[in-house]
Amino acid sequence: MVGERVYRHGVTARTSHWLWALAMLVLVMSGLQIFNAAPYLDASDKSNPQKRVLAFNAGMADGHPVGTTTIFGATFNTTHLFGYTNDGMGAESERAFPAWATLPGPQDLADGRRWHLFFAWALFVAFVAYVISAGLRGTLRELIARPSDLPKLLPMQLYYLRLRRDPPPHGTYNPLQKVAYTVVLFVFFPLIIITGLALSPGVDAAFPWLTAVFGGRQFARTWHFTLMALLLGYFATHLTLVLTTGMWNNMRSMITGWYTLGKHDGVGP
Amino acid sequence: MKRRLFLASSLASLGLGGCGPIKDSLTNGPFRNVLLSTEKLNQSVIGTHGMARAYTDADVDREFRVNGLDTPSDDAYVGLVKAGFRDYRLVVDGLVERPQRLTLAELRAAGDRTQITRHDCVEGWSAIGKWRGVPLGTIVAMAQPKPAARYAVFHCFDRDQSGQSYYESLGLHQAAHPQTLLALDLNDKPLDPAHGAPVRLRIPTQLGYKSAKWVSRIELVATLHDTFGGTGGYWEDQGYEWYAGI
Repeated sequence: MVGERVYRHGVTARTSHWLWALAMLVLVMSGLQIFNAAPYLDASDKSNPQKRVLAFNAGMADGHPVGTTTIFGATFNTTHLFGYTNDGMGAESERAFPAWATLPGPQDLADGRRWHLFFAWALFVAFVAYVISAGLRGTLRELIARPSDLPKLLPMQLYYLRLRRDPPPHGTYNPLQKVAYTVVLFVFFPLIIITGLALSPGVDAAFPWLTAVFGGRQFARTWHFTLMALLLGYFATHLTLVLTTGMWNNMRSMITGWYTLGKHDGVGP
Repeated sequence: MKRRLFLASSLASLGLGGCGPIKDSLTNGPFRNVLLSTEKLNQSVIGTHGMARAYTDADVDREFRVNGLDTPSDDAYVGLVKAGFRDYRLVVDGLVERPQRLTLAELRAAGDRTQITRHDCVEGWSAIGKWRGVPLGTIVAMAQPKPAARYAVFHCFDRDQSGQSYYESLGLHQAAHPQTLLALDLNDKPLDPAHGAPVRLRIPTQLGYKSAKWVSRIELVATLHDTFGGTGGYWEDQGYEWYAGI
């Protein structure tokens, strides 16, 4: 089994995977551009400073400009990074996220929205295409977590931490992968799309319950941002594992589809 | 700590900052037309359906946030304010059978609707106000649009620093939505100059920039191409979507 080459990812799965990688990058950067226009998050329907959970501010201290980040009431000095930072015009100014993290770089809400709303559709298309193709190929069945995977989570984590010699027996994907993929695919992605729609006054009027279930418009904005942070966390973990569990093999399988089984890969479902 | 952040930020700027020209050329190059294509898609998928949520008096922001261009300070507008808008006339003209010149009393007599709705700014914040006025659809109907009329263009008293007048526009079906108001009162008082006195548009199913303040004239037109920048509004001419339901 070890060393055997298997055709793991179909052409639709691979195309949609790269498309949503691109879409995620554009959506995060243009989303931060949009966020910069109102650099705070409230846990309420209308804007309410008393319900503020995150805020970026700029001010002066000892004659120097400072940028601050306030999370749940705790304020941190983040001058040069958040609050008072690179404005993309060759200087620093009052700005939540720096120009290198936003699309476009300089302050430009109109174009940020154009990028965001276009790539929101790209993400949606990539998501639907992936789910359909992975469903047809049977990949989805292999990667959806089931209750029987739960007892294997701890042994798998111990194996990753080198506290256990062998991974618990599993199929194509190990139990931690399955839980991560299931949560990302069927909780995070749908929710980030739905919370985005809940911010739209047109969608609100057509489906008022949609905004209400997230606690109102500003709360939906807070969830939308939180899901972005969670997806970035997933992406960082995903990338780390891609790089550390046989980078070339992993990358090749997502480009050509072919994957060489290694000793990490479980035997039999 | 600060120095480390500065160093990290500078390094990231060097690395990703190289993307600046790429970002610019993609935003402003031929790809721009691809980006712009989403607007029609969103308009056809979301459109103007349903009713914006109605709130109660307890939800109202008594100090309703002021945003947008400065309150007009030219002699004509200041004169109107000083005279209590006695000489104000809302002009309705363009492609109509019966052009109108309506006093505030005539506007109030034409219809009376109160709504407590949320104002969602394109910047991301929201505020709740109690708006009272006359449904826009009533006023448009009074003027009897000609068959060729497709849009209502709102000409306003305010100008930006370069002298460009604020204007906005709606499709006639958006104008006829029962919650689309010509508002005369905010929070139980006649609009003050900062909030768009004496008449402002209020359309809760779209973003705030559509709700033009200081409306002086409603012109019915067949196309938006012939008015100012040709995209249907002051902010639209600067790259914002004409369809602001999203």
